[in-house]
Amino acid sequence: MKSFGTLEREKGYASPPDDKSKYQLLHEAIEPHVGSFNALFEGPGGGLLDLGIKDIGKKAVFDSHTGEELGNKLTFWIESVSVAKPAVPPRDKLSVERRTFPAECRERHCSYRGRLTLRFAYQVNDGPISYEDRDAGQLPIMLRSSRCHLKNMSPKQLVAVREESEEMGGYFIVNGIEKLIRMLIVQRRNHPMAIVRSSFQNRGLSYSKYGIQIRSVRPDQSSQTNVLHYLNDGQVTFRFSWRKNEYLVPVVMVLKALGEINDRQIFDGIVGAETTNSFLTDRLELMLRSYKAYNTKTNYEALTHLGDKFRVAMQAPEDMSDYDVGRLFLDRIVLVHLPGDNFAKQRLILFMIRKLYALVAGECAQDNPDAAQHQEILLPGLLYGMILKEKIDEYLNSFRETVRQAVSRRQAVNFDDPQFINRIFLRLTEDIGKKMQYFLSTGNLVSPSGLDLQQVSGYTVVAEKINFHRFLAHFRMVHRGSFFAELKTTTVRKLLPESWGFLCPVHTPDGSPCGLLNHLAHKCKVVTAEEEKTDEVVVRLRELGVSALSEANAAGPTVACVQLNGRVLGYTTHKQAKIIANTLRYWKVKMQDSKTPKVPLSLEIGYVPPSHGGQYPGLYLFTGLARMIRPVKYLPLNGKEDLVGPFEQVYMNIAVTPDEIEDNVHTHVEYSPTNIFSILANMTPFSDFNQSPRNMYQCQMGKQTMGTPGTALACRSDNKIYQLQTGQSPIVKAKLYDEYGLDEFPNGTNAVVAVISYTGYDMDDAMILNKSAVERGFGHGSIYKVEKIDLSSKRTRGDPITQRFGFGDDTWPTEWREKLDDDGLPIIGTLLQSGDPMVAYYDEILGKTKVKPYKSSEPAYVQEVKLLCDDAGDGELQSLTVKLRVNRSPNIGDKFSSRHGQKGVCSQKWPAIDMPFSESGIQPDVIINPHAFPSRMTIGMFVESLAGKAGALHGMSQDCTPFQFSEQQTAADYFGEQLLAAGYNYHGNEPMYSGVTGEELRVDIYIGVVFYQRLRHMVNDKFQVRSTGAVNSTTMQPVKGRKRGGGIRVGEMERDAFIGHGAAFLLQDRLLNCSDYTQAYVCRDCGSILSTQKSVPRIGTKAQMHCRRCATRLTGRPDDLNDAWEDGQGVKFTGGGNITKVAMPFVLRYLDSELAAMGVRMRFDVQPK
Amino acid sequence: MNRDSFVPPTSMSGLSAAAAGSNVHKSYGVRYLCANCASNVSLSKECGHRVLYKERSRRIIQFEAR
Repeated sequence: MKSFGTLEREKGYASPPDDKSKYQLLHEAIEPHVGSFNALFEGPGGGLLDLGIKDIGKKAVFDSHTGEELGNKLTFWIESVSVAKPAVPPRDKLSVERRTFPAECRERHCSYRGRLTLRFAYQVNDGPISYEDRDAGQLPIMLRSSRCHLKNMSPKQLVAVREESEEMGGYFIVNGIEKLIRMLIVQRRNHPMAIVRSSFQNRGLSYSKYGIQIRSVRPDQSSQTNVLHYLNDGQVTFRFSWRKNEYLVPVVMVLKALGEINDRQIFDGIVGAETTNSFLTDRLELMLRSYKAYNTKTNYEALTHLGDKFRVAMQAPEDMSDYDVGRLFLDRIVLVHLPGDNFAKQRLILFMIRKLYALVAGECAQDNPDAAQHQEILLPGLLYGMILKEKIDEYLNSFRETVRQAVSRRQAVNFDDPQFINRIFLRLTEDIGKKMQYFLSTGNLVSPSGLDLQQVSGYTVVAEKINFHRFLAHFRMVHRGSFFAELKTTTVRKLLPESWGFLCPVHTPDGSPCGLLNHLAHKCKVVTAEEEKTDEVVVRLRELGVSALSEANAAGPTVACVQLNGRVLGYTTHKQAKIIANTLRYWKVKMQDSKTPKVPLSLEIGYVPPSHGGQYPGLYLFTGLARMIRPVKYLPLNGKEDLVGPFEQVYMNIAVTPDEIEDNVHTHVEYSPTNIFSILANMTPFSDFNQSPRNMYQCQMGKQTMGTPGTALACRSDNKIYQLQTGQSPIVKAKLYDEYGLDEFPNGTNAVVAVISYTGYDMDDAMILNKSAVERGFGHGSIYKVEKIDLSSKRTRGDPITQRFGFGDDTWPTEWREKLDDDGLPIIGTLLQSGDPMVAYYDEILGKTKVKPYKSSEPAYVQEVKLLCDDAGDGELQSLTVKLRVNRSPNIGDKFSSRHGQKGVCSQKWPAIDMPFSESGIQPDVIINPHAFPSRMTIGMFVESLAGKAGALHGMSQDCTPFQFSEQQTAADYFGEQLLAAGYNYHGNEPMYSGVTGEELRVDIYIGVVFYQRLRHMVNDKFQVRSTGAVNSTTMQPVKGRKRGGGIRVGEMERDAFIGHGAAFLLQDRLLNCSDYTQAYVCRDCGSILSTQKSVPRIGTKAQMHCRRCATRLTGRPDDLNDAWEDGQGVKFTGGGNITKVAMPFVLRYLDSELAAMGVRMRFDVQPK
Repeated sequence: MNRDSFVPPTSMSGLSAAAAGSNVHKSYGVRYLCANCASNVSLSKECGHRVLYKERSRRIIQFEAR
């Protein structure tokens, strides 16, 4: 029997473990983030940043301004990059603790960052190398990464530095906000994909829709996409984009540049033994023949030609020969995943050409870029590293430009003078850290190259801590890219079988991001550590009969091409390839027994069998980073763990359950069928009983629940935090719930739920709450709001401080002291109403004490006041935060939901005495309407109700993992028996009695215990009501917006409804009387409403309205004084008194004056005359 | 009279004045808790940490029960 573990949890809170976390799964879940960030600094080759600066290489600039000679050469490069852990600035002499911890950054609304130092090296001509350490600003650091103080801290230590005991990290803190870089889906690296895309035809006249695309990834993880285009006449063009410009090169020229190769060799490398394939040979012949026009036959000629054309694009130094620029071109652009190995590049291009011809001929199908098979994850750390690398590159470029400028302006340029170099540094913007912070805070990518990515914004998201589920889900979220969000076709959003086990089929939002915003299945991992152990694989392949390329004269789909990370290793027969794949897999899994396995378990063995027009066959092996992998049991070795990837999975036979295994069919079996679900989807109880959209809704609602965002709330200063005060451990929970330690963060309350139509107030998804339950704390929540008060915000930098917190000597209202302490700050625990003073400060210039009032209409209690220092730690106190607590007990109109996508709004808090009660005297906390079920088919909720009831009666926790029950052993029977044992009805029904009359109800009522979530949508944040209030000053119509006390628009469609009902009076009321009703004076003679005006009243009479337009101006003395009138300026008139008053909307007057301004007169004929 | 008396004298000038014993700061009797070392200070000079919490008032705060 499973207990609730209450005591262990209690003990765990009192003394957190001082070795490692209890919930390893939680930390594994965010590994793609932390692991990829760590890969920047450690790993084979010294971390990706080091590889990156190696790839940038050396740059050079010359000091001659005459065109004839170059002059002295200054070569410069970045020797190394170092990132320090976050620390207080060296100026700060007071701090005893020199480390800066994340908690401080959250409270002070600053960024968690460490100093970035670049070791700048330079050399004049061939002289000695000088080094200079340049401070490149403060680089935001990912929490719990190797550059964070929290790395390797035990829960106990974490608590000591004011973190959550289970703090997982994986995000950054930027200006006090927790930000994370979201994972994106990108094309699988180093694998040539066959693409058919009609937009390819837009590139030129003879361009066809066929292409082979490869996303080639450098060792530093930056990528370069190469595409081969098929032209309608049979030629092939090589396309790439460089610094946001597209270039096209004939593929034969690239082949020739990659190494000495003659036409015969090209022909053989593409055709292989298939010399009778005339489709192929015809086109190839044409391609080779038409290339003759370039007249660059040899390797040297091709390279020189390319070097000449790409000298500017490559930004090559002036003294470099065309030949060397050509080589640079190959290194930087062509198949960059094979650095320096031009022979391998040549072989791969030949393979790609063959695949392209196969695609055109229909010998192979196109590869689906929307299938997980051809996808990998763009890891946050790798993206961060790519941007950093580019910023360093830009920095070096700006150094070169600054020197060039100095040279061209004929300034004193002396490379040998360190003073000169320093003067150049002074002119550069060196703060790379600030640029990285900009990236994190906005999510915008500012890049000259575009980084081979399809979007420029939306790379980062706020890690919202609405509750822990929401927070956790952020780190498992994978986005398809904002480019696809605008796409009209829905093909990218489809759930494909290739995603099985990698992306959760349930956990995606409905609405516009549906299918684009996915979540990783909970057992899916992403490779974050590069495995260098590939040599052994090559040795094994050779032993197994993969001939080396030099000996082979094979190509095409009739033989199996063997590739390892996009390197063609050789060819073999299809039969042999299958044997190799099976042998390799056995060997790979078996090898993991040894202490130092020579091959990583994550090796992906993608054997694509020959088919009739299917995927291009071959044996494709992958070991690289950023691949999705997941564990399954390998049957030939008695269920030892094997890791499979999405590329190989398509051609594998993995049984879902052990019963399913067939001999000689299945090689693997799943650990559990629930492995395909995301963490959140796994938490839905009995989700296999529900209609599938309901499970999707629950995944969304679980993230909007008012739950427990964390336990270190006192050490945080989030703008708004929701907390459920009476959270409970669910009686019915999945096994994984405990493994992920979600009891540390309760997300709801167990409620006795009766399914009955009882009050009449529960129609249409309304629900009744038991008033007494609410008063005992059911679903009680609080909102913590933080108001930051910064007196220096209005002061310009450098001005003296003139405003200080506290009271001055002048006189100020003594009531202020009821809420504020002697120091001008609010008393902790005091209640603030709207308009109450929150903070008092003294303005020395005005000599007055002022207050900042509390503005919200809801009363709040002062929870905390924090006094904040500035970054340097030596300024006067100018800013502080006040944390306020708003109590939100459940109210009519608040939203609740069970865990089955069954949301509802509280419609009544029903008095307990009137609630129905069962024979044992139990009355429900919640009443829901039976009509909520038939159409929605959330049988899981019924089962949860049964299980919860049985669990409550027996005092045990129930497992609700899906796929546990079958037709033979049903859930209803399992829990029904438990209910019988407790003396209850087997079916969960009970006779109940009316709380009003005491009579027994005529039917038995289904009553049980269901875990209820309180959602964060509450009436108090939403209600909008207006009688009179603010109006727009030009139209005099009510303003919109809840914040301003505006109204809700009665729009055109509402108007139509009123008309349809014949509710003319209501229409008049809404559209005129309650809107911009005005009374206006119209001149009956000329029909104008603009020219009427009030006359100056004569003594003893009232002011009267006259039309100025129809009146005649008096110059002399009037004949009849009674008829004359006077305007405000003392001008006298006579006549114009034929005026009447009408009611009209004010906008009509506005319209008239606008028209008058354009010279159009409006005339109103008033009836009756 | 100096108006910033309750400000933690984190500036060097303020500290040296305090260290010299000259009583430029008026004490309001309001105490603060250092966020780092949790020491109860009226002015944080114990460890120079950059966040202080205001202490809960000893005053009796009573609300009408609703």
